[in-house]
Amino acid sequence: MTHRMFRTLTGAVAAMALLATPALAHRLRTAKEAATVAGSDMSVTPDRDWNRLSMAPGKHAETWTLDGEQLNDVTFYGGIAPDEPLVRERSKKRDPLPKFLQSTLLVEIPELLEGTYRTQKNIASFELLSTEPTNFLGNKGVRFTYRYTDDDALTRNGEARAAIVGGKLYMITFDAPRLYYFDKSIEPARALMTSATLPGGGAH
Amino acid sequence: MKHILRALALAMCVTLFAAAPASGQERSATKQGFELAPKSGKKILVFRPSVQVGSQSTGGMFEPNGEWTDSAKRNLQVALEKLQTKLGNEIVVAPEAYGEDAQKLAEHMALFAAVSDAVIEYQFFRGNRLPTKKRDNKEDVFDWSLGAGVADLPGAKDADYGLFLYNRDAYGSTGRKVLQVLAMLGPGIPVKSGEHQGYAGLVDLKTGDILWLNADAAMGGDVREAEGADKRAAQLLEDFPGSDLGQ
Repeated sequence: MTHRMFRTLTGAVAAMALLATPALAHRLRTAKEAATVAGSDMSVTPDRDWNRLSMAPGKHAETWTLDGEQLNDVTFYGGIAPDEPLVRERSKKRDPLPKFLQSTLLVEIPELLEGTYRTQKNIASFELLSTEPTNFLGNKGVRFTYRYTDDDALTRNGEARAAIVGGKLYMITFDAPRLYYFDKSIEPARALMTSATLPGGGAH
Repeated sequence: MKHILRALALAMCVTLFAAAPASGQERSATKQGFELAPKSGKKILVFRPSVQVGSQSTGGMFEPNGEWTDSAKRNLQVALEKLQTKLGNEIVVAPEAYGEDAQKLAEHMALFAAVSDAVIEYQFFRGNRLPTKKRDNKEDVFDWSLGAGVADLPGAKDADYGLFLYNRDAYGSTGRKVLQVLAMLGPGIPVKSGEHQGYAGLVDLKTGDILWLNADAAMGGDVREAEGADKRAAQLLEDFPGSDLGQ
């Protein structure tokens, strides 16, 4: 009973805090204008207009979309420091997220994203489809593709690029339903990934 | 996390709407230029509705209930059959789908729900619209699609339009009701207990474009009861193009 009551109260406080926050407007990100993302120095130049959602998934994360994050979701992770999760934890105790560690290797990044999605999105199936080395932010990086089905029974495809620069993780992911929306939005999403720069990024 | 945030954002949209009706919350839309006259000779394929019923945990998570879902499916099926003859055009009931076909249909139904969620969140709720869609919104453009993959759904070749029906009902758990009271007594914030999503959409079976959508995250009618299911079905098909339902 005590535990239940505690859960209820924590839920209540969290919900009230969110409800009390005034709704902030989503921002336009204009084509051909460079924009820094996720509170970091990482910068991208879109090839078409995008919307930056007002609600960020984490302290060092930010989401852009064309039609709504349900249908096309580009999330930027801007400098995740060692021992930090990719996104805000729902509950540190009940649903802890895997952390990016100082010892995390580039090839382990897909697994970090998978572990994060499994907990946050409550998904049963996540399949890593491909992993290959790439150049990202002027550094050695990894490009990977994946597929998962979340609790709304919709299968989504994803594509991501990541690099570790100065001991921090920088990543851009693109997720969309494999039906229609992935193909519709992958090119502008790839254009964002290709355009990404980080001052001094190539120096490491 | 995103799911909770989305649910809360959706709840907030509804809450804000309740507090300020002037902000304007729409519930249905029609693609520009689309008209469907009664007895037009067009065939409408009705897919088996997607129905999920469960409870809503304190944090707003959905917890499915098999027994409730089964009775809601039965009740809604009966309720819809009563209305189908009044839709104004020829109705074709989609053939039972098996194996890969069933999976394809379920995935399209899930996509239909996701698109409807996006429409409610980013188009029907005016205060939350996406900047890139501002011009469309100003000109009353309703441009959403499920993609041309719908043409391969079972029965699609024999009809012009497909009717997608999606229901997801979450009845507030005790914890959720406690939260509702606490939030009201404390900071005076209205918190919704229970969620009742009901979406009906008419889709062009060649292009996948949504021609008409009636979508609400706060539908009426307790689908676990026959009478409630009648109410829900009537609400879903209210103002269906070419019919005199809801007039």
